Amino acid sequence: MSIASERVEVPADPRAFYERAIEERWTDGLPLLPATDGAIEALLQASPYPPDHVVCVLPPVNGVATVELVAINAAMAGVEPAAFGFVLAALEALSEPEWNAFGLTTTTSSVFPMLIVNGPSRDALGIDYRASCMGGAAGRGSMTIARAVALCIRNIGGQRAGETTKSVFGQPARIGFCIGEWEERSPWPSLAQRRGFSAADDVVTVHGGKGTFPMADIHNDDARDLLYLIAKSMAYPLANMFLGNVENGDVVVAFNPMWAERFGAVFPDIDELAAYLRENAWQPIDLWPEANAKLLRERGRVDGRGRVHLVERPDQIVPIVCGGLGSLHAIALPSFGESTMQSKPVTRAS
Amino acid sequence: MSSDTIWVRRPTATPAGDVSAPVFRLERPLAGCTIGLRTDRAWRSWRTISAIWDGYLQRDGARTIAVETGAQVGRPASSDRKQIEEFAGLVDAAIVGLGTCGSCTTFTIKDAVTVEEHDKPVVAVVCEEFTVHAHNVARHVGHGDMNVLVLPYPLEARPAEELEQIARDYYPRVLELLGVTA
Repeated sequence: MSIASERVEVPADPRAFYERAIEERWTDGLPLLPATDGAIEALLQASPYPPDHVVCVLPPVNGVATVELVAINAAMAGVEPAAFGFVLAALEALSEPEWNAFGLTTTTSSVFPMLIVNGPSRDALGIDYRASCMGGAAGRGSMTIARAVALCIRNIGGQRAGETTKSVFGQPARIGFCIGEWEERSPWPSLAQRRGFSAADDVVTVHGGKGTFPMADIHNDDARDLLYLIAKSMAYPLANMFLGNVENGDVVVAFNPMWAERFGAVFPDIDELAAYLRENAWQPIDLWPEANAKLLRERGRVDGRGRVHLVERPDQIVPIVCGGLGSLHAIALPSFGESTMQSKPVTRAS
Repeated sequence: MSSDTIWVRRPTATPAGDVSAPVFRLERPLAGCTIGLRTDRAWRSWRTISAIWDGYLQRDGARTIAVETGAQVGRPASSDRKQIEEFAGLVDAAIVGLGTCGSCTTFTIKDAVTVEEHDKPVVAVVCEEFTVHAHNVARHVGHGDMNVLVLPYPLEARPAEELEQIARDYYPRVLELLGVTA
């Protein structure tokens, strides 16, 4: 298989190679594996596309992401050939116009692609969906797929802190964020199934998430009470969703399996659960100082009962099930607002 | 290659934007021209400045058309971009702002590109902190020579009198960048 990208002679010593990668600005600060032809070819053979196939054009600098260039970055991240299709699917998803990659890669916000994986390959590839799935579980699939996508945005998209991205703080997920859903412990259809895919499909959903927003409770066993508090917590007054258009954006909320079981008993239909969350995800207009309240009123965000809802529709609240069995916690992945999550199936070489 | 070295492949892409689209100049007096002002719902300061410029433009004999955008995706964004497309067709020249955050700078440039694609003069207005970003975006979408007017940063939280002074100070430069002649 012919590889066309420029050859670069680098030190064979791992530490010296790391130094060179820093000099070349190829890295996010962590060590990389060398993208040798052997490693790249193994990835290319796992793809159904030829090396020069254009996966997408990546902002901010509108670099052309060919399968080959993606494979080079994936090789540096240590992606297994069997996982390469997940990297490609993630890039295809985030380059859909409604994900708003140009806006999200350049914004002052901390937002970054957060990958949620469904499907039968989660265990084999090491996609984290159990304890510490959002950081610390160390699954190879989660860490390498996520980092490969992040490296593509850095090296192909040209996203550079303070230069082409104006992100004020960034966030830990800018090194990469990829979790699975614990489908087997979910009382509801998986996220991918709800988005039109089959349980047999490997699917990557990309959410423009601003960070991980933790919630905890040990005082209440009632499912409705707990969901009410989760809804109220998601509707924090300085959420992006209160800045912009009520009909845009999705907020992901991750339930641990123990809570999911409790919620599923009361809300066997997840659409009804999302509707309940939407109904309670609001704050009273009086909460905001007058300057903010005035704009919320001008923008028609206040309903007849003086409530400012976080989102317009139940489908903008996206529950998923993952995390350890220790219960007690939920995590929201707040939205940038001006972005709509996208899902793509994983394709492989036949 | 020595035994101390190995060969790898370069992981970076060449940024887009080697070629820049043409920019346009009005090359006539304001009187009788239709000048567009694009505001962004997010920025109160820019509403103030553009309203003052709107008054100056009318004082100087131009007709003005104002549009306000506020979305980047979904139905509201489709409506915004359609409005900008129509706006670009109606005006003789346009002032498009404000770039004072990352994504709003990006969309300021994108909407200014729409005006240039109609072969019309345009000035993209950004705040100082976002100048490099604005030029980067313009270059990477193939409009690297676009006129960019840089206002002080930050504009938000300034008293009204300061914004009015900024509007007065920068108005002549706007006309200059649009190519208005005496």
